[in-house]
Amino acid sequence: MALVKVPTPKTTEIESRSLARDLAGLEAKLADPDPGARRWAARDLAAHPSASAALLALVRTEEDVSVREVALSSLTQIGDEVAVAGLVDCLRSEDARLRNEAIEAMKSLPERVAPLMRGLLRDPDPDVRILAINVLESLRHADVELWLISVIESEPMATVCGAAVDLLTETGTPRSRDSLIRLTRRFPDEPYIQFAAGLALKRTATA
Amino acid sequence: MNATANAISPDDFQKFQEYFYRKTGIRFEDSKRYFVDKRLLERIAATASKDFRNYFAMLRFEASGAEMQELINLMTVNETYFFREDYQFECLVESILPEIVARKKHDGPIRIWTIPSSSGEEAYTIAMCLLERWAAIDQWDVEILSSDIDTNILVQARAGLYSARSVQHVPENYLGKYFRRTAKGFQLDDTLRNAVEFSRVNLQDPAEVRPYQNFDVIFCRNLLIYFDDQSRKRAAETFFDALRPGGFMLLGHSESMSRMSALFKVRKFPEAIVYQRPGGGWV
Amino acid sequence: MSRILIVDDAATVRMYHREILESAGFVVDEAFNGMEALEKALVVSFDLFLVDVNMPKLDGYAFLRELRSHGDLPQPPAVMISTEAEAIDKNKAWEAGANLYLVKPTRPDVLLGYVRLLLGERLQ
Repeated sequence: MALVKVPTPKTTEIESRSLARDLAGLEAKLADPDPGARRWAARDLAAHPSASAALLALVRTEEDVSVREVALSSLTQIGDEVAVAGLVDCLRSEDARLRNEAIEAMKSLPERVAPLMRGLLRDPDPDVRILAINVLESLRHADVELWLISVIESEPMATVCGAAVDLLTETGTPRSRDSLIRLTRRFPDEPYIQFAAGLALKRTATA
Repeated sequence: MNATANAISPDDFQKFQEYFYRKTGIRFEDSKRYFVDKRLLERIAATASKDFRNYFAMLRFEASGAEMQELINLMTVNETYFFREDYQFECLVESILPEIVARKKHDGPIRIWTIPSSSGEEAYTIAMCLLERWAAIDQWDVEILSSDIDTNILVQARAGLYSARSVQHVPENYLGKYFRRTAKGFQLDDTLRNAVEFSRVNLQDPAEVRPYQNFDVIFCRNLLIYFDDQSRKRAAETFFDALRPGGFMLLGHSESMSRMSALFKVRKFPEAIVYQRPGGGWV
Repeated sequence: MSRILIVDDAATVRMYHREILESAGFVVDEAFNGMEALEKALVVSFDLFLVDVNMPKLDGYAFLRELRSHGDLPQPPAVMISTEAEAIDKNKAWEAGANLYLVKPTRPDVLLGYVRLLLGERLQ
């Protein structure tokens, strides 16, 4: 018994041919009782632009974390409007894990998500508004700071303002200073707002 | 003279530190302040950024992530050499392999994959450790595969010729036993060269990695830290499927699955923290 | 001196809680998400965890469930801190193994009062 040299692994011809590559075949495999089979199908579907709906349906009901993670990676790779709309839906899920996985996926799709941001920042559910601000962290868009300023100017809930200020401590410029000061006056009895706004003001002080 | 181009203010340093920690999990101690500032100023100048603020905005928003990669490169130590981060090889021999052997239900060999192979130091170190430090090597077959995307470096790895710098941490007796000193450097003996299979693989190509399966242990040290968030996540998912249920994954000492994927269980052994794919009748 | 781990992905929130706790004499460490928190908890003994709910990779509930499932690890009290105030979330917190559930944003006096209570210290 010892160290044994093994040849470089290669997919055999037979394996290559038998692996379902077609959309219908792969989508069918998403219902396979074996999580490994579901996972491989979810992975291979990344190459099929019209697989978003099937992947989203899987994500909503899939119990196995490894399958769900791969399905979300594939959705992110496809990244079409269907995928993004579905991910936005996931923000409303009762499942904390799914909500956070959706945020992560959305962060990787800035161009697709940007048009939806204004609406999400005004969503009736304050938790969705907070999650939307989380997504802003990675958004490459010229208006991010303006959106954050608009939140701290008009948002009624301290928790949502807190999330916006947290992001401004990293991305804020002197443009946000006046609004930050007004925020501290709007919530004089909220220690966290005072703290966070103070930090953001410190970091946006003109040199 | 513009003061902001010559120094990093405490506020800017804190802002940068928070960002870098979020992205990589690496935190700089106060003692590293000079080290970090110097490199930040270097990059601010190299990217012709007006000041830290402009540089930071560019860093955050660059679609390609190239500057972040460059920065990570600068901030981390990248040298490859034999017995680098030796505590992980200790862990392999003292804790991981005994556990694998204890629950092994098949007769096949134990399979280890190390990627990236670079010039082979890691793979050959593993081979040496197995032969010299693992008593049970006499009872089990072990296959070592090592892969890299760069075909040139693979040629080097197969050749097994190393500089004095590369072998400086090799224990004296191993050096005498497994290396031959030549005019060109330290030549690794055929016993070890023939023990490792090197292959070219692009980890990010699903078709290429598909046949890499059924591994008991995977070493992927100091590679994923250079990937962007999505690529890191997909790589972790690839490794998940490359491992047998219950198989083990080792990352570089400043890397953490916490920035990549939640699919793995964290295991603490006396020698190291490692990651494990759930299942296999163990976890 | 009691050691507290703050688990939250928001740097400002971690900083805020750190200031509150350190000025009250506690030793504080931080983790960015549930996974990093687990990695730290395996190596260092903490006396209390302050845990956010929404975090990337491993959220607060999942972290607590995982922590509580480790029979070999010390099981200190855990305070869950979140924006959600609905009853359903509190139940989830108890089920996951939290000792207390606080709603963000926290107030220093309230937080300290509960932390001291959970650590068995006298209320100031």
